[in-house]
Amino acid sequence: MSSATARLLGAVRRTNAALFEGRSTLQQGVVVVALLFAVGLTAAGLLFPSTDAGRLFTVLTADSTLAATLRLSVPIAFAALGGIFAEKAGVINIGLEGLLIISAFAGIYAVDMTGSVWIGLFGGVVASTLLAALFAVVCIEFKADQIIAGLAVWLIALGLAPFASTVIYGGKTSTSVTTLRTLPNMNIPVLSDLLVTDIPVVDFALVDIPFFGALFDANPTVYLMFVAVALSWYTLNRTAFGRWVRASGENPKALDTAGVDVHRVRYAAVLLSGVLSGVGGAALALGIGQFTGSGPTMVNGKGFIAIVAYLFGNYNPIGAFLSTMLFAGLDATQLTLQARDVFQVPRPLVRTVPYITVIVVLALFGRTRTPDAAGDPYESGEGE
Amino acid sequence: MTLRDRAQAAMKRLVTASRTERILISASALLLSVFIGGLIILGAGRMAECQTAAYTLAFPGSFVTQFTGGSSLFAMGFCYDPFAVYDKLFLGALGNVVIDFSTMTFSWDPLNGQFATTLAETTILAFTGVAVAVAFRAGVFNIGAQGQLVVGALLTAVAMLYVAPLFAGTGVVAGLVLLPLGILFGALGGGAYGALPGALKAYADANEVITTIMLNFVATSVALYLVSDASRFKDPESLANQTKALPEFSQFPALLFRARDDFSLLALGLAVLALVGIWYLLTRTSFGYDVRTSGIQPDAAEYGGVDADRTIVSSMALSGALAGVGGAIYVLMQLGNFQTGVPSYGFDGITVSILAGNNPLGVGFAALLFGVLQSGSIVVQVGSDVPPELVGVLRGLIILFVAMPEFFRLLGRKFGTLLPEDEQRRGAVATDGGGSDE
Repeated sequence: MSSATARLLGAVRRTNAALFEGRSTLQQGVVVVALLFAVGLTAAGLLFPSTDAGRLFTVLTADSTLAATLRLSVPIAFAALGGIFAEKAGVINIGLEGLLIISAFAGIYAVDMTGSVWIGLFGGVVASTLLAALFAVVCIEFKADQIIAGLAVWLIALGLAPFASTVIYGGKTSTSVTTLRTLPNMNIPVLSDLLVTDIPVVDFALVDIPFFGALFDANPTVYLMFVAVALSWYTLNRTAFGRWVRASGENPKALDTAGVDVHRVRYAAVLLSGVLSGVGGAALALGIGQFTGSGPTMVNGKGFIAIVAYLFGNYNPIGAFLSTMLFAGLDATQLTLQARDVFQVPRPLVRTVPYITVIVVLALFGRTRTPDAAGDPYESGEGE
Repeated sequence: MTLRDRAQAAMKRLVTASRTERILISASALLLSVFIGGLIILGAGRMAECQTAAYTLAFPGSFVTQFTGGSSLFAMGFCYDPFAVYDKLFLGALGNVVIDFSTMTFSWDPLNGQFATTLAETTILAFTGVAVAVAFRAGVFNIGAQGQLVVGALLTAVAMLYVAPLFAGTGVVAGLVLLPLGILFGALGGGAYGALPGALKAYADANEVITTIMLNFVATSVALYLVSDASRFKDPESLANQTKALPEFSQFPALLFRARDDFSLLALGLAVLALVGIWYLLTRTSFGYDVRTSGIQPDAAEYGGVDADRTIVSSMALSGALAGVGGAIYVLMQLGNFQTGVPSYGFDGITVSILAGNNPLGVGFAALLFGVLQSGSIVVQVGSDVPPELVGVLRGLIILFVAMPEFFRLLGRKFGTLLPEDEQRRGAVATDGGGSDE
């Protein structure tokens, strides 16, 4: 077994430990029931494909379901990673939704101006990072209540993006631009040949693998997401910066004593949450090629689901990613169910499923341990 | 000195010291937001396209150039004029204000339609504002006022559709019975929907910020489901997603104002009563004491014999009920039925409460300010090219600045001793119940 595999297994084991540590028997029971349900559904789906359970299984295992799950995961996962960095450093960033909204609009605007999807992605990141910087100054420098300031970030973006869209495009919805989908798929070295071209001998391409084939036919931001999850995990757990971030959230005084500027670490972490959310928001808008600013905008609560995702994942990037996949998977399933007209469940009701799941999950697994100093402004002893 | 006395004394100190400061901070936050909003209008004015500039910024100004005779060194045209926008926003909300400087006369008919809109918005915002304030004081952050208002409004509309026809032809009696009944339905719907996240927080430790936001989405979706199909509550005659109209006699009477303005002084009176009532409840009753101590110092409250879990649930239920009453009034006064796409009264209620320092009496003034902004934004929309979403930006900015009292204290210290300099009172506006009244 290579050391990389060993490390991966270790990470999975730690995630498992994190998930089960301190959980009551009720919670463990729920997990077991959920697993049994999954096994039962699989069995029913394989044995009796024409029943309701069978059709649900077919939908769940469709390529398009995984493809949609991955696509829907991107904004949530990036925002969740950003939220982890900020909160681990001691700043609760509840404004992730706002960062996603502003970067979604800025991304579209930048593409419209320059014609390049990549510059669009960059534009989204810049806008989101600027808003995060404002939030950082307000929280770190002026010791604002983080929840209220985060709420303000959300509300500002909720007003500003449709405002800007109306000024520029004459309506809350922008014009259409080039999407990420029109770009060629990312070239994964070694695998690239296997992706779309058939292997001569077995006449089989990776994209043809049932269910998992979608993994090899996704847009570039999906792969970027995998990289970001891995990098975030590595940064938090294996680098000096990660140690500072964690210390800044747990015991800023100790970090200060060790000679590291707590404010700088927190600024870096909050800005990082802006950068990551920026990628997520821009990826969301560029996947569709348009910004929709009516109602709760096209972001529609994804930033808040991201918060739940990292709480559920216990601040572990990998755990957060897995819970993101869970929420996005629910969303994707309901999309596929609707598209295939499998069950006659009304669209507005199905749409509530992910939100209700979040509430249930939070009620069952609500007791995540937040970093000790999260929410508290830190004042260095030097200036006084 | 018992723990109870000590907590009371600490609160008294907080109160007297922070009231003036709170007013100063709120006013400065508003001014700063208006200023930055003005810059945003100018910026947007550069990006928009127009034939002639609505506003020209020139250096040196026209005062200097008319003496020097030359043209200005620097001039830049903007498509939007921030002064005109704010004029429309703030004065437009009052409607038909005529100030004649030559004769120094001022005329204003307070019964005009635009002012009625302002007061109608104020009425509903007072309910959602005080709803958020009650929860806040108990140390619970209720972001779900929007959902609670939707549930209250929907339950009122649907229940009244069945109840109202029973009272047809009974004249005044119908109003006397139906209005309180409708408000009761609103309170029950909103109260139950508020108690849910309260119970989840108290007994399952689920973060109320997240659950209430999720419940907002759920409420909107379920409301859409219920009024989107004629087999349920949709009006089959209408293309829009809405219920049938309620009979006229089940709605608020206009009183003084024109019936088509959809505003009733009776509802405004109810709102004032609610604010004073909640203020009394919080400051003069033992329930209010429990709520406030749980908000400020949960551990001490528990030690002093307060059942923290029950306080959370009951204050959230009360909070939701108030928001629900706002929803009932929205249906019974403004709409006359339930429609999807409810305006963001609940979210504005958060701003109103924060601006008022979670003080029920202050909520009245903050609600009036937001009523003006909301009604004025309609005037802006009709009378200029500036998108009315500007008000949303102002709302966010106001919250952001109110959240950072430290910034204004810093300014205060720099520019004299306007603000008290007690370092202890940091973070007066906080999620832990913060503010104070009396």
